[in-house]
Amino acid sequence: MLLSLIILYVLTLIYLSIVERFRNYASLIAFQGWILLGIALLRLHSLDWIELSFVILETLIFKALIVPAILQRVIRKTKINRVRTSGSAQFNSLLLSVTALVVSALVTYYVADSSVHMIFFGVALYALLSGLILIVLRSRIFTHMVGFLVIENGVFLFSMAIGVEMPILINTAILLDILISVLMLGLFMTRVDREIHADDSDSLTHVKD
Amino acid sequence: MIYIFLALWLATGAATFFARSRRAVHLLCALHMGIHALFAARLLFGGAFLATSGAFFTFDEAGTVFYILMIVVAAFVFLHSQEYLRDDGIAAYRTYFALLMLLITAITGVYFANNIAVTWILLETTTLCGAGIIYHRHSEAALEATWKYLFVCSTGIAIAYLGILLLSAAASNRSLDYSELQWLIAEGNPLYLKTAFLLILTGYSCKMEIFPLYTIGVDANFAAPAPASAMISTGLVNAGFLAIFRVYRLFASTEVFPWVRHVLLIIGMLSLTVGALFLRRTNNYKRFLSYSTVENMGIAAIGLGIGGIGVWAAVFHVVCHTLIKSSLFLQIAVVRQVYNGYRINRIGDYININKVGAIGLLAGMVAVLAFPPSPLFVSELMILSQTIASTGWWLAAVMVLLLCIVIYSICYRVIKLCYQPNQDELHLSKINRRLSYGALSLLMAAIVLGLWQPAPLRAIIDRIATL
Repeated sequence: MLLSLIILYVLTLIYLSIVERFRNYASLIAFQGWILLGIALLRLHSLDWIELSFVILETLIFKALIVPAILQRVIRKTKINRVRTSGSAQFNSLLLSVTALVVSALVTYYVADSSVHMIFFGVALYALLSGLILIVLRSRIFTHMVGFLVIENGVFLFSMAIGVEMPILINTAILLDILISVLMLGLFMTRVDREIHADDSDSLTHVKD
Repeated sequence: MIYIFLALWLATGAATFFARSRRAVHLLCALHMGIHALFAARLLFGGAFLATSGAFFTFDEAGTVFYILMIVVAAFVFLHSQEYLRDDGIAAYRTYFALLMLLITAITGVYFANNIAVTWILLETTTLCGAGIIYHRHSEAALEATWKYLFVCSTGIAIAYLGILLLSAAASNRSLDYSELQWLIAEGNPLYLKTAFLLILTGYSCKMEIFPLYTIGVDANFAAPAPASAMISTGLVNAGFLAIFRVYRLFASTEVFPWVRHVLLIIGMLSLTVGALFLRRTNNYKRFLSYSTVENMGIAAIGLGIGGIGVWAAVFHVVCHTLIKSSLFLQIAVVRQVYNGYRINRIGDYININKVGAIGLLAGMVAVLAFPPSPLFVSELMILSQTIASTGWWLAAVMVLLLCIVIYSICYRVIKLCYQPNQDELHLSKINRRLSYGALSLLMAAIVLGLWQPAPLRAIIDRIATL
């Protein structure tokens, strides 16, 4: 079951590389949130109930509900629709994503030792690379925000790979920080669209030497 | 103890959001700074120094030195901001001061955090407060700079968090306290340790304003009001420095420490190069001062990378840079009152408009260029001599060459501001020379440190630099 969820998660990452419509991005991020909830339930069932409740709340409310809702709201407010008008870059993105997957697998094979869970480590690395690819390859700032969220999900998986257990106070503070970051990113993205009329990072060129 | 103070600082900051008049904002600022003064007094004279408070904070030497420096700078920043923002509406005015208070509170937390995850949380909090301050002007440039700052900092800090997790794996997940981590990672997997250091350094570079994520710091300083830039370029940069320095100290007992020092040396040289080259290129005085910060933080990173006496020099360099750079940013805030802008090629004749301010800028130029009696002369000389001793002449020669470019660029631009004929319209506002004197007093304090370093300060830096 756990392996199936992880494979599903990898598939969402591959699919993210070829998605063109922003609504699909938001849906995929929500779907990833639900998968992470499933993974957390299966993987962390040995935790005490307070910590387990926190992780479930984090994945369910934050990753599966609030963040996708923020993305949908940004889409509604900015009325943006697609990454680009033509789909010519899809093949290149897919190729790069698959290369990242292979690189992640190879790195995991050579790097991971007994202190980490190899599969989680590999998938977390792939999520990190996928997020970076989205940020570097796509010019729309909405996609950059999605890239940031993919990286955050990768970090969550990475913490599972390592099995790190932090005090509940620290976990709450980390979650709050990330939540406010996402809220502020959504808020400022809407403002950028409204005031500069730029949903493309290439248009953000007022601040330079 | 610290939780009570944190609550008080947060309460004054939050109350400022609802202040209905400027007078109320000023009272809350005074109250906020008063609480900081009380906290500083407890640190220095009330026996709290070196004590641990709560589970996550320790008032160690490094945190205390940088905290005292920050509240001195913060007092000037508050005073300058009141004059600088005098034309703003009450809503923007109170939001700015409230965010400034929250930023100072978050930076205080970073200075005293004894747990690497808590440091991370508070550094991310500085991003959120800083973003609001950068957006203060609500202009297109401010919006763009804010978006970039928020996005790059959040991504950078997420990358740093990956490094922290990897460090935790190397420590077998037993603790994230700095004191315990130092021993736990001593036998850790070298590959994990190296990767963790790279990720943390990359992530925190956006706060320390060094290569590779230095650009957003420059953009942030450009867009934020100049007094706030004084805080971002010193207090916040010091928070980034301290976060990296604490990780550097953790690695001192590991087998990868020589590698860590090499990485810092490379990053330092790259930062110095970028700073030197962009100082020539930029056409805005605030960006110009920001690139000077990149250059100086690069020198500090070189000091850490070289090791030996270089570590002491790096800490001393950052301490003195705080006073000098805050003074320069506050002087530039007065410059904006006169010219209503920062365009290098168009504004000039400052010596005849505001003599005290011009002298402050010229003296600041001498200090930031590390000419005697600047304290930076002491630190840079130490770093250069240690560089020659450790790596030979070639690296020192490259450093000197880059410093020559820095000297030329800074002299050319500051002298231009003071003496070239002015081409822009003057802003019809009365110059408040007391602000120029205030900024000059920070510079004087730095020059005193160049001539005479008090024994307690030397002893504290000795302890900070002991690995």
